[in-house]
Amino acid sequence: MAGSGSSLKSAALLEQMKSHLTTDAGKELVKKTGLVYQLNIAPKQKMGVDEEIYVVDLKEGKVTQGAYKGKPDASFSFKDDDFLAIATGKMNPQIAFIRGAMKIKGSLSAAQKFTPDIFPKPSKL
Amino acid sequence: MAMRDLVTGGAACAVPGSSSSSNPFGALANAILGSTMKAQDLKGLPESGVTVPTASLDLRPEAQFATIPGSEYENQLYQHADSQSSEFLRGFRSASHGSFEDAWGEVHRPPILPRAGVREIEGQFSEFEQIYDGGVNSNIHQIWDGPPQRVLSSYLHYFVNSDRDRTGFRPTALPALGLSESDKRCIRDRSCIMARHIFADKNEQYINEQVSSFLHCLDIDNNHLIRGPMQGPYAELEEYWNNSQTVLRPTAPHPADSWISEFSQQRANGDPEAWAHSFEKQHGANGWVSEFGQEQAQLLSAGQLGGSNLSSIAAMEQTRMLAHTLAQNNDPKFQNSKFLQFVSKMSRGELIVDDNQIKPATETISGDWANEFHMQYDKKPLEEHFSGELFHGANTWVDEFSKQHQQEEVDDQWVTEFSKLHVQDWAEEFGQQVAEGTFGESTTDRWADAYDDYLDEQLAAKPKSSASRGVYVFSDMNPYVGHANPLKVGQELFRKGLLSEAVLALEAEVLKNPDNAEGWRLLGITHAENDDDQQAIASMMRAQEVDPTNLEVLLALGVSYTNELEQAEALRYLYKWLQNHPKYKPLASPEQSTSLFHADIARLFNEAAQMSPEDADVHIVLGVMYNVSREYDKAIQSFETALKLKPHDYSLWNKLGATQANSVHSEDAILAYQQALDLKPNYVRAWANMGISYANQGLYQESVRYYVRALAMNPKADNAWQYLKISLRFASRTDMLEACDSRNLDLLQKEFPL
Repeated sequence: MAGSGSSLKSAALLEQMKSHLTTDAGKELVKKTGLVYQLNIAPKQKMGVDEEIYVVDLKEGKVTQGAYKGKPDASFSFKDDDFLAIATGKMNPQIAFIRGAMKIKGSLSAAQKFTPDIFPKPSKL
Repeated sequence: MAMRDLVTGGAACAVPGSSSSSNPFGALANAILGSTMKAQDLKGLPESGVTVPTASLDLRPEAQFATIPGSEYENQLYQHADSQSSEFLRGFRSASHGSFEDAWGEVHRPPILPRAGVREIEGQFSEFEQIYDGGVNSNIHQIWDGPPQRVLSSYLHYFVNSDRDRTGFRPTALPALGLSESDKRCIRDRSCIMARHIFADKNEQYINEQVSSFLHCLDIDNNHLIRGPMQGPYAELEEYWNNSQTVLRPTAPHPADSWISEFSQQRANGDPEAWAHSFEKQHGANGWVSEFGQEQAQLLSAGQLGGSNLSSIAAMEQTRMLAHTLAQNNDPKFQNSKFLQFVSKMSRGELIVDDNQIKPATETISGDWANEFHMQYDKKPLEEHFSGELFHGANTWVDEFSKQHQQEEVDDQWVTEFSKLHVQDWAEEFGQQVAEGTFGESTTDRWADAYDDYLDEQLAAKPKSSASRGVYVFSDMNPYVGHANPLKVGQELFRKGLLSEAVLALEAEVLKNPDNAEGWRLLGITHAENDDDQQAIASMMRAQEVDPTNLEVLLALGVSYTNELEQAEALRYLYKWLQNHPKYKPLASPEQSTSLFHADIARLFNEAAQMSPEDADVHIVLGVMYNVSREYDKAIQSFETALKLKPHDYSLWNKLGATQANSVHSEDAILAYQQALDLKPNYVRAWANMGISYANQGLYQESVRYYVRALAMNPKADNAWQYLKISLRFASRTDMLEACDSRNLDLLQKEFPL
């Protein structure tokens, strides 16, 4: 596919995130957050299977593919759909955790700032 | 009293599966009085109070193995009292990896229901009776000789029963028992815990004295081994527990609750023993026997649960650990938060989260258990049972055993599955960080608040019908049902821009004529304009079933799937559009229909566009397709070309705007949406998109107005509600979150006029 090699639904959102971080609102977000998140996103049924790894770097204002070089402030594992639900505010991240739909590693205060608020919202055709 | 205490000890201390089967005393006691310990727990272990006798869902992988049903019987069929006393000791030891926290955790885990042998009971009955019937003195000051295990066992029994003895526990000289360090530590830890149950009515000093003298006799050094706080912080837990009981008690009393109250009533009367007696009177000794059978059945169902309800069990375990860790935070604010209560409830299985909604567990296993328990006792006459069970016992066991073995496979899967979840990681991490004080007070609060909010929201919101994907969900009350020509009304309403009304009329139409493709199509279009892609897809699918080649339907499906980020589906329908188009059909080679590469389709559409550059539709489809592949610049070009040909297509303006927004040209997008809204003022989707574009630019106050506008027209637009909430937070208007949660549109509209 022309846009990127990923077939994840989340990839669309992350791509939007990438360009969002270049805007004023995005820069504001970077200034406010200053944390690095690593997302391990599994395409389909199971967490941890065929994960694609993205880094949402809210320190540098970047979204990159592949594991973070160094220690991210927090890393998360979820399924494609669940990540999307979290990022768009359909699912509360804490509830996601409690349901076992999201795994968290790393600093908890960093993890708590991982909310739908940091993601740009996709518009609909 | 002592009985019950022993029970408490039994359930709290017993290693699942070991003591229950091998220590008849513990097993019986556990079985009979398992529930009563709840009352005790209120005192000692507030947080844990819920040893609801749910079917045993011990969640640790190793515990699964430890309790592989029946395995522990293999070597000990018909064993005798001697070895069983040592089993008692073993239970004592193995359960006690130390601190009070562990005990807490164990209590929290539903007690393993004793599957103790019907066979064993007979032999052990007398022992039980002796201890139970106040035979404290009769068999306690006794044989302090014999094999070490027996001495120890008797000694432990003596200690456990010592509160019945008015004089309390009297130190006794014992022969050297040769206990190992770890044995000693176990005994010390266990006795500290048990003493608090046994002497629940005594003060702390007394308890400590009793324990010390007990331990002294065993040559265990109480002082330097004592670890961890035993009382201090848990006052808060107790408070919390009490609160949670009054605040969150479900309307229908938990069956187990009635036991608790019964128990505490008796206790208040100053005769705790009476409870046990009345129990015996009611159910007769044989009750115990039948209960064991009952519990075996329970185990089976527990096994099934393990197989099928993996996720909820995992969730339960996750929360159990979370609750455990959180309970150790001393901040009273935190302790009283609904969050902790909520997590505790989750961990006990009283609440379940299903599809992101919180529900009370309707049928708690414990409820079942209690019901059946009662049924059993009401029905079965003693004699029949006693003789019957006893002799058929062995056979049933064999059956049971083999059945359980079939289940092992499931269990194995479950274990693998579960260990993959690594629930521990986070809870540990959490505990560590809490301990390190990484959390400022404020963050802890925030975390708790987030839950409180969410919980309120969840409990306030009506449970939604589970709209599974692709299934159309009809409205409940529809005034247009029975109307002579709902399609005509629907079309009229749609034209007027009354989208939510149009939905109702069109639903009435498709209910009347399920094969009306036009009805379904227009319903789908209406839903899309109303910003509900799920329903739009469901309607369009029905339209497509009836009329598989309708180009508008195919394009609409392509668009909706694009919005839902379902790339493959979107491409499939866009390609179908091409295949069914009278003019472009020849371009599509029939064998290509299944495995399609985006580049191929893009090429085909570009060819089509060259064929007839004046056809706006081709450019629209191209634009959608470039959205799928996130080539937004090309998509914008395509839509702009199409708009030159079709300048009055409001949905096309919206498509252009959305594409610009997704490629972070939000300012341009707003202009495009404005065009769309000029053409169609009630275009909910465009209003919602406006809000998104403002929010993505950081103009949250503005975005709120647009979301509210969209919601005023379609209160069912769930996305907009979510986004509104986020914007309210950013706009520092948390005061309006409540209105948002309660979906109070009047208030919101007044507050945020456009």
